[in-house]
Amino acid sequence: MGDVKKEFVQLLANYGHIGFTFVAAIVIGMGGGIYLDQKVFDGRTSPWFTFIGLALGIAAGYKTLFEVIWRDKKAADQQKADAEKDHED
Amino acid sequence: MEHPILFISIILEKLGLPVPHGPVGHTFLEKLCEPYMTYTWLVMAFLFLVARLTLGNLEMIPGKGQNFWELVIGGMDDFFADNMGREMADKFFPMIATFALYIAVANLIGLIPGFMSPTSSLNTTLALTLIVWFSHHLIGFREHGLSYYKHFMGPVWWLVPLLLPIEIISNLARLLSLSIRLFGNIMAKETLLAILFMLAGGFFAPLPIMILGVLVSVVQAMVFVLLTVVYFAQAKEHAH
Repeated sequence: MGDVKKEFVQLLANYGHIGFTFVAAIVIGMGGGIYLDQKVFDGRTSPWFTFIGLALGIAAGYKTLFEVIWRDKKAADQQKADAEKDHED
Repeated sequence: MEHPILFISIILEKLGLPVPHGPVGHTFLEKLCEPYMTYTWLVMAFLFLVARLTLGNLEMIPGKGQNFWELVIGGMDDFFADNMGREMADKFFPMIATFALYIAVANLIGLIPGFMSPTSSLNTTLALTLIVWFSHHLIGFREHGLSYYKHFMGPVWWLVPLLLPIEIISNLARLLSLSIRLFGNIMAKETLLAILFMLAGGFFAPLPIMILGVLVSVVQAMVFVLLTVVYFAQAKEHAH
């Protein structure tokens, strides 16, 4: 495998999972909300926990998205610091 | 839809073992003879035998076989060390490297007619995911003790009621996304190939999908391993 192709696969691995993780977070959040509404409180609180769960799920999705960005930023900063150190030497 | 021809299932049937015709068997023996189980064993045997046959004795000047394995293992080792540090990479290398090799081979084996990918069954991927999920919490508890709960609390105390559910949801979403992504990608590839073979196999219609299938197989194995490494590293580092 060439360097370009290797990098391509690594980029795909890095960012290819974002979409699915986002959806999974929303599904878990809203599913939990619906479960609370329908099963635990027997529909008495409907639809409030569904909405709260949906909102928390979307927030959790954004959190995972930001985590990827923060990780990238940290790696980039590290690289920059290393490069500067090399430059000084 | 036409039933795919799986040669291990046919051999087992000829031997008189009960191979289930639906997706799941009922008795213990039927469960053992399910295609994804038999092909998991095939992949395990393949990895074991190939490593055994190509490696032989380790030598200072590597031959062909040893050269290949040094490239594979060395590449993975560097990748782990880059992402989670040398100490953790040394500790968890056997586990994660086994996952990587197993998932890659299990994904790729489905491209050959007569074989199926064990990873195209949710049972296999969920098992792998559960191992990763429990071990990343275990690493967290071993590293931080009971104060591992601070990982789920966010930076300031008045944000706890908001951030605790978010952290729990995003942690459970890992379980879902890790297992279903691998399963979905590989099953989609298998199903698409089967349909195209059935419709226009004589005109090489599945060929472009097979090329994409190689890419998807490698990328999905890589995604699984990368996320495993990231989760382990996150469980180990200090809470924000």
